[in-house]
Amino acid sequence: MTQPDTEARPAVRRPSRAAAVLGFLHRGEDSLAGVVLVAMVALPLAEMVTRRAFGVGVPGSGPVVQHLTLWIAFLGAALAARERRLLAVATAELLPSGWRRGARIAAGACAAAVSILLGRAALDLVLIERDAGGTFALGIATWIAQAVIPVTFAAIAVRVAWRADDAWPGRAIAGLGIVFGLVLGQFPGLLETRSAWPWLVLVIAATALGMPLFAAIGGAAALLFLIDGVPLAAIPLFTLAGFLLAEGQASQRLLRVFRAFFGSLPGGTAVVVALIFAFFTVFTGGSGVTILALGALAYQALEADGYRSRFSVGLLTGSASLGLLLPPALPLILYGIVAGVSIEDLFIGGFLPGLLLIGLVAGWGMREGRRAGIPRQAFEPREAGKALWSAKWELLLPLVVLVAIFGGFATLVEASAITAGYAFLMQVFVHRDVSVRRDLPRVLTHAAVLLGGVLIILAVAMGLTSYLVDARVPTLALEWVQTRVDSKLAFLLLLNVFLLIVGCLMDIFSATVVVAPLLVPLGLAFDIHPIHLGIIFIANLELGYMTPPVGLNLFLAAYRFDRTLGEVARSVLPILLIMAIGVALITYVPAMTLGLLSLLGR
Amino acid sequence: PAQTVVKLATLAPDGSVWHRILEDQAVDWRRVSSGRVELRLYPGGVAGDDPDMVRKMRLGQFQAAALSVEGLSDIDEAFNVFQIPLFFQSIDELFYVIEQLEPMLRARLEEKGFVLLNWGYGGWVHLYSKQPITELSDLRGQKLFMWGADDRQLRLWRAHGLQPVALAATDIMMALQTGMIEALATTPLAALSLQWYRLVPHHLDGGLAPLMGATVMTRRGFDRLPDQDREALLASATEAGERFRTEVPEAEDRALDAMRGRGLTVTSIAQSAEAEWRTNAAALASEYGEALVPTEVFAAARRALEEFRR
Ligand code: NA
Ligand code: NA
Repeated sequence: MTQPDTEARPAVRRPSRAAAVLGFLHRGEDSLAGVVLVAMVALPLAEMVTRRAFGVGVPGSGPVVQHLTLWIAFLGAALAARERRLLAVATAELLPSGWRRGARIAAGACAAAVSILLGRAALDLVLIERDAGGTFALGIATWIAQAVIPVTFAAIAVRVAWRADDAWPGRAIAGLGIVFGLVLGQFPGLLETRSAWPWLVLVIAATALGMPLFAAIGGAAALLFLIDGVPLAAIPLFTLAGFLLAEGQASQRLLRVFRAFFGSLPGGTAVVVALIFAFFTVFTGGSGVTILALGALAYQALEADGYRSRFSVGLLTGSASLGLLLPPALPLILYGIVAGVSIEDLFIGGFLPGLLLIGLVAGWGMREGRRAGIPRQAFEPREAGKALWSAKWELLLPLVVLVAIFGGFATLVEASAITAGYAFLMQVFVHRDVSVRRDLPRVLTHAAVLLGGVLIILAVAMGLTSYLVDARVPTLALEWVQTRVDSKLAFLLLLNVFLLIVGCLMDIFSATVVVAPLLVPLGLAFDIHPIHLGIIFIANLELGYMTPPVGLNLFLAAYRFDRTLGEVARSVLPILLIMAIGVALITYVPAMTLGLLSLLGR
Repeated sequence: PAQTVVKLATLAPDGSVWHRILEDQAVDWRRVSSGRVELRLYPGGVAGDDPDMVRKMRLGQFQAAALSVEGLSDIDEAFNVFQIPLFFQSIDELFYVIEQLEPMLRARLEEKGFVLLNWGYGGWVHLYSKQPITELSDLRGQKLFMWGADDRQLRLWRAHGLQPVALAATDIMMALQTGMIEALATTPLAALSLQWYRLVPHHLDGGLAPLMGATVMTRRGFDRLPDQDREALLASATEAGERFRTEVPEAEDRALDAMRGRGLTVTSIAQSAEAEWRTNAAALASEYGEALVPTEVFAAARRALEEFRR
C-alpha cells in the first residue's frame, strides 16, 4: 500500500503542529509562484529600459523569462491541484449520488497514475538534459530549470490522490494509482506491446468520471512535451494584468464609458464587448489570452446591464477568437511565413472576413439586447465627457500597448509586461484599489492557480501535437483526402471538418506549423487561391477554439467565469452556430477574401 | 515494410532545395538497403526548432536531424566556427576548411553520441537593410537583427558600434514593420521565401558568413542500422551532401534574380570606405572566434584558411 500523502499524513497524528508546518509550506509555495510572476513582469520591462538607455539589454532576459513561464505553469498546476481547481469535465454530477464518491476515487486514481507517469517521463528528460550539460542563460544549467516539472508532477499525483476522497480508505485506493503509474513507468513495455485501445478506453472513462483534463490529454498522448517558444510568456503577463484590473472599480468606470457612448444602441454593451475582445485578440494572437485578461471585467459589465449569464458567457467565449483575421494578428503572419504566401495579401484578404465575423456576433448581441429589453440611455455629451475622464487611466492602457508595439518599442512579450506593470501602477498608486501587502499576494496566487490549470493543459496538448506529428496523422489524413476526393466542393467541406478538429486539438501556432504546409499543395491541386486557403484555415481554427468538447477557449472560459465545461459549451452553442455560418460564407464565397485583393490589383 | 525506420527532423521547409536533397537521400537509402531502411522525414520545423530537435534526438524520439549551426553548436561549440562573421570569403575556402576540420569535428560529435552523415549548406548570409549600406556608418545607423545570437555575440557586435537586436524568430516580421529592427542578416533564399526583402530591400554584396549545417544521427540510432547496410548508407549520405555545393549556389542566384526583379537593390561597400570595413571585419572575426570557438578548433581553421589562401 502506498503512502501518497507526505504533506498531510502527519495531520492525522498531530493535527495542530502538522497543520502549522503545512500552512508554512503552502505559504512558501504561494510566495514562490508570486515571485516568479513578478519577475516575469520585471525582467522584460528592465530589458526594454536598459536596451533603450544603454543599448544593452538585461543579460539572458529572454531565455530566463521563457523558463519562468515553465515554472509558473507547473508551480501553478501544483497549486491548482492543491486547491482542487484542476479543470475537469464535470459529468460526475449526472451520476446518482451514491456513485459519485466511487467515481471520484476512480478518477483520482487514474489522474494520479498519469501524473506520476508524466513525472517519470519528465525525470528522464531532465537527466538527459543534465548529461548533455546545456545552459540556458548566465551559465544556469537547463536541467535545473526543468527539474520543476518532475517535482510538481509528483506533487500533483499526491494531491489528486489525497483530494479524491475525504477518508483514508478512499485516499489509499486513489493512491494505488501512483503505484500503478510507477510500475508502468518502470516497465514501459507493458504499454508498448499491447493494443492501445484498452488504455484509451480507460482514459476516456476516467475523464468522463471527472479526471482532470491535463491527465486526459497527457494520458492519451503518453508522451513528453516542453513548454517552449517565447510568445507563450505573454499569456501569464496578460492574465496577471487582467487579475489586477479586476480588483477594484476599473470595470465600473469602463462600463460608465460604454453606456454613455453606446447605451443608446440596442445591445450596446454587448456590441462594445465584442469589439473590444476582437481588438485585443488581434494583438494577443488569440490563444484565448483575451478571455483571461478581460473576461472578468467584461462579464461584470454585461451582468450589471442585466444580460443573462448564459448569454454573457457565450458572447465572451465566442468573441475571444474574433480578430484573428485582422492585421497584424500573429496567426496571419505565421501562416504567411509557413505557407510561403504574401503576408500583406493575407492582411488584405482577411479584412472583410474578419469584419463579417465581428458583425455577425455584434448583430447577435443587438438582438439579445432588444429581446431582453435591456434599458437604453440617451447620449449625453456632458456625461460622456465625465465618464471618459474618470476612466482615463483604463482607456489609456490599450493606447499604451498599441504605441509600444507599433512604435517599435516592444515585442509582444514586452507589451504584455507593460500591460501588467501599468495595471499594477494604476491600481496601487493611482486608484489605490490594491494594497501591496494586503491584496497583492492574494491576486498573485489566484493568477498562478488559474495559469497553472490552463498552461498545463497547453503543455500536454503540445505533447499530443508532437505525438500526432510523430504518428504522421495529419499527413495520412490529407493523403486519404487526396485519393478519395475529387470535387472542389467536397474538398472544402472536408477541409472545414478537418480544420475544426485541428482547432480543437492544437493551439494555433502548432496547428499552423504542422498542418499549413500539408494543405498548401492540396489547395493548389483543388484550385483554391492560396490567400483564400489561408483565410479559410484561420477562420476554421477560430471556430475550433470554441467547439465542444475540447476547444481551448471553452477551458479558459470555464476557468475565468467559474462554470463547468458543460455549462460553457451550452452557452456557446448559439454563437458557435452563427460563427459557423460566417465561416461557411468565408469558405464558399471566395470573393469575400479575394474581392478586395483584385480591387487593389494584387 | 522496412526493418529499421530512421526518423529525421529538419527546419528546412517542404519543397526547399535542402528538403529535396533529403527526399532523394530517403529514396536512395531504401534502394541501397534493398528496402531494409526507411528514412522518414519531418520537415518544416514540425518537430520544433534546432534546439528542440537536438533534445528530441537525445530523448530517442528522433534518430537523425538535418541541423543548422544553431543546433550543431548546442551539441558542440566547435561548430560556432562557421558562424564567425566575415571569416570565410568564398565557398571554395569554406569547403577546403571543412575538409581539413572534418576528422576533428567528427570526433567531437562522436564524443557527444552523434554520427556525422553529411554536410549541409544553406547559402551565404548577407545583410539586408532599409537604408542602403555603402560604408560602416550606414550599418551602424540601423538596428540589426541577428539569427540566434546570444549575449556573448551581441556584446562583440556592440563593441564595434553596431546595434544588434536579438528577438524571437516569430517577432521578425512585426519588428521589421514597426521599425524595431531595420536591418537583417540572412540568406537570399530565406529573404525571398520568408518575404523579408520587401521590408529590407537593400542587399549588401559580399556576405557575412555561410549558413552551414549537417545531418547527424544519434550513435544509438546508427548502431541499430542493419550491419550489412551501414557502409552503403553512409556513402549514399555523403553523395547527397555533395549536391549542396552546386545546387544551393544556383538556387541562391535564382533567388537573388527574382528579388531584383521585384525591386531589390544590390549595393557594395564604397572603395573609400573599404579599408575601415576590412579592419573592423578582421577584428570582429578574431574576437568572435576567440570568444565562441574552442581554441584548438579556431587555430586549426585559421591554419587551413592560410594554407588555402597561399
Ligand atoms: Na524553441
Ligand atoms: Na546554439
